Amino acid sequence: MSEQEAAVTASTARYIYSVARSSERLGLGEIGLLRSAVFTIPYKDISAVVHSCQPSPYESKDRSVAESWIIEHSFVIDQAMKRFGTVLPFSFDVILKGDDSAVSGWLEKNYYRLHEELERVKGRAEYGIQIYYNYDDLAERLIEEDSELSEMRSRIDSESKGRAYLLKKRFNQLQKSRTAQRASDILDRSLSGIRTLASEIMADEKKRIPQDYQSLSLLASYACLVEDEKVEQLGKVLDEINEMKGFRVRFTGPWAPYSFVKCRDLS
Amino acid sequence: MNPEKDSTLVDILDRLLDRGAILNADLIISMAGVPLIGMNLRAALASMQTMLEYGIMEDWDRSSREWYTQLEIKLPLEPDENILYRAFGYLQQEQGLVKCWIPGIWNITSERLILWIKTPGSILFEAPLEELLTTRVPSTHETRKELELTYPDGRARMSLSERDEFEQALRDAREKTARAQDKPGSRMTAISAESSS
Repeated sequence: MSEQEAAVTASTARYIYSVARSSERLGLGEIGLLRSAVFTIPYKDISAVVHSCQPSPYESKDRSVAESWIIEHSFVIDQAMKRFGTVLPFSFDVILKGDDSAVSGWLEKNYYRLHEELERVKGRAEYGIQIYYNYDDLAERLIEEDSELSEMRSRIDSESKGRAYLLKKRFNQLQKSRTAQRASDILDRSLSGIRTLASEIMADEKKRIPQDYQSLSLLASYACLVEDEKVEQLGKVLDEINEMKGFRVRFTGPWAPYSFVKCRDLS
Repeated sequence: MNPEKDSTLVDILDRLLDRGAILNADLIISMAGVPLIGMNLRAALASMQTMLEYGIMEDWDRSSREWYTQLEIKLPLEPDENILYRAFGYLQQEQGLVKCWIPGIWNITSERLILWIKTPGSILFEAPLEELLTTRVPSTHETRKELELTYPDGRARMSLSERDEFEQALRDAREKTARAQDKPGSRMTAISAESSS
């Protein structure tokens, strides 16, 4: 054993990426944070996917460094998903104090819950669905379809200045409320379609919007746990929304079930 | 449509920082670059800048509160300045990728509102009482209440459990200060004269 390897073995903590369905001790290569060697620590038929580290957190004041760690973390989880099927993903920077035996002891202690969670997500993955819309497009389309609105608008030009002003104001108000109503109707309809296909669904308070979508309004954001064989059907349901004028759907995945792990309080 | 997996950074951040499994109690060392409970609470707290939104914070809130109240507070004060009210609470700060809550002791003195961090012993926030505005805002946490602070240099968000008590203390302190300064030439008088003209 080289000096370096000895140092790693002596490291007194394990950074945990996920818990997977595997009963073997396996090396997954140097794919971890800062090219750390990632390996599994098994207990019965489940394993923790970890790397050895010092018992101190990964911290950086440099945003790009922190971001690259987070991407590395996500990469390890994706690799584990490919190899072991759906895993229980851990949040960034969760570190277990102790050596391999401490980790297997921890798996033993939480075995029942972890095992149950793995069963629940088996053959399923998380998908992100965001429904965006362009307010102006939708409002414009509504005028074409709503006779009250279109009639009101055509009257504006023929009225006297003062009356036209008031009418315009009323028109704007009505248009706004009808547009909001229409958006929410469309949302309700699409949600019922999504509901029938997803095993679990969660409204998702999305704080970060991708660059390409920033000109649109976010109508709704969901995280869905979906069985592998239902993904295609879900895509078709989303097509119907995506094809509506003024709407755009963003469908991402498969993800590890980040939003669905119920292990927010493991001890 | 097919799901896309050219996962952008925003998708990854949403999931990895805010979700996924986490651990409770002594095993946790950190999350999102923020040390929480370590091998030894005190050591972890020494560099602690924590997030309270991560769901495990009830116990943690209690323990850090206890830890803080055990400490001897040596807040540097101006001559004639005295502490009128003190409460454990938090200040919200942007820390790179995440918004986090930094714990400390909120002090209302005869002059200022101060957030004092015992370790390493620093004032993290201060604003003069007479120019400070507080506004109630909806809370993101079950037991703690939030206040938006507006002061000449900007805005900040604070949270604490005893919001009513804190607001009352702030009013009392202001009254006291106003009375003490209610003499010709004092700053307070100058401001109210300006605003009434």
